[in-house]
Amino acid sequence: MAACFASKWSMAVSRSLLGNLSSNNLGSLGKPQDLTSLGYNGLFFQQQLRTFIQMRTKLKVVDNSGAKWVRCIQALKGRKGARLGDTIIASVQEAQPRGKVKKGEVVYGVVVRAAMPRGRCDGSEVKFDDNAVVLVNKQGEPIGTRVFGPVPHELRKKKHLKILTLAEHIA
Amino acid sequence: MAANALSYSLAHISTCSCSKKLSPSIFSSPPLISLTPRRAPLPSSSLDALVVRFPSPLSRRFRHFTASAASDNSVEGEAEVEDAEEESEIPAEGADVVAEEKPPRKPRIKLGDIMGILNKRAIEASEKQRPVPDLRTGDIVEIKLEVPENKRRLSVYKGIIISKQNAGIHTTIRIRRIIAGIGVEIVFPIYSPNIKEIRVVKHRKVRRARLYYLRDKLPRFSTFK
Repeated sequence: MAACFASKWSMAVSRSLLGNLSSNNLGSLGKPQDLTSLGYNGLFFQQQLRTFIQMRTKLKVVDNSGAKWVRCIQALKGRKGARLGDTIIASVQEAQPRGKVKKGEVVYGVVVRAAMPRGRCDGSEVKFDDNAVVLVNKQGEPIGTRVFGPVPHELRKKKHLKILTLAEHIA
Repeated sequence: MAANALSYSLAHISTCSCSKKLSPSIFSSPPLISLTPRRAPLPSSSLDALVVRFPSPLSRRFRHFTASAASDNSVEGEAEVEDAEEESEIPAEGADVVAEEKPPRKPRIKLGDIMGILNKRAIEASEKQRPVPDLRTGDIVEIKLEVPENKRRLSVYKGIIISKQNAGIHTTIRIRRIIAGIGVEIVFPIYSPNIKEIRVVKHRKVRRARLYYLRDKLPRFSTFK
């Protein structure tokens, strides 16, 4: 919740910045060579550019393993970061008192929802409103017994069938 | 507006003529010609009409030059008109002769039109398979998709169109919906063969082409049963 409030505030700030920049294009910048940076800023701030899940990304945990949210410490597979359907190594930041995992534990997780759009082979793209992860063990089996919220088709190809069967809704 | 310009120009011209000692006949003629309401101005008067309408930046010397040029142009213009008439007669005869010999020419396909033509063909081919209804931002639609991974049955996606990007065959629509408490946006290429059916269920009045503001609003605005 705090994360989404922060994102809204930053978006509002970025929009206001864009507004200021566009109102007096050359007045504030002066030199013509800054036009490219202004153009880049416009591209950056018009739509929030969602990127990969990398180190220090906070992710919500959507199973009943006991953890509330985790922080990514390593994205396995992917030089730039993890995407929808990838596995990550994360550190539990907050956990419920009596759960299967405790705070500070290093766990594996499968990204089931990502704010970055993921392209499918038929030309469609899917994106969710938040980043979420399901904790798994080294073999890829989920630690919890329930998965909340929608999960994408991509997990089928990545052989996370157990998570798909537990899921409430397949997007 | 023309009258004001005219009056200003007349005053200007009168001051000019006093200083330059030129015959008033040359200066009096142009404003009268420009008053004619005819659509197609005579070639001699067009330059004068321009001069009359925009008098301010012109110096007196230039005005004198244009007046003399106008008097010359009137003579030249008539000659040009005669020549044009003669020339138009000759090519007309030539065209008749040429047309009898060859069949009508096919329109040449220009390089820049190729993508447009290909896109149109692809869209026609896709429309024959499955007609696509007229979709606009704000429509609440239901899409039935066949996914090769999910071989069981057609997946159904319902939601509001928040944007439509036109790109020929890759025209896409972005559907937003709250599924199980989480907002999901999916981009569909509407001419894809995987889409088995698109049906417009309802329409919501929106005053925008892209409804990205729905991401910040309460979830109930993106919820569709």
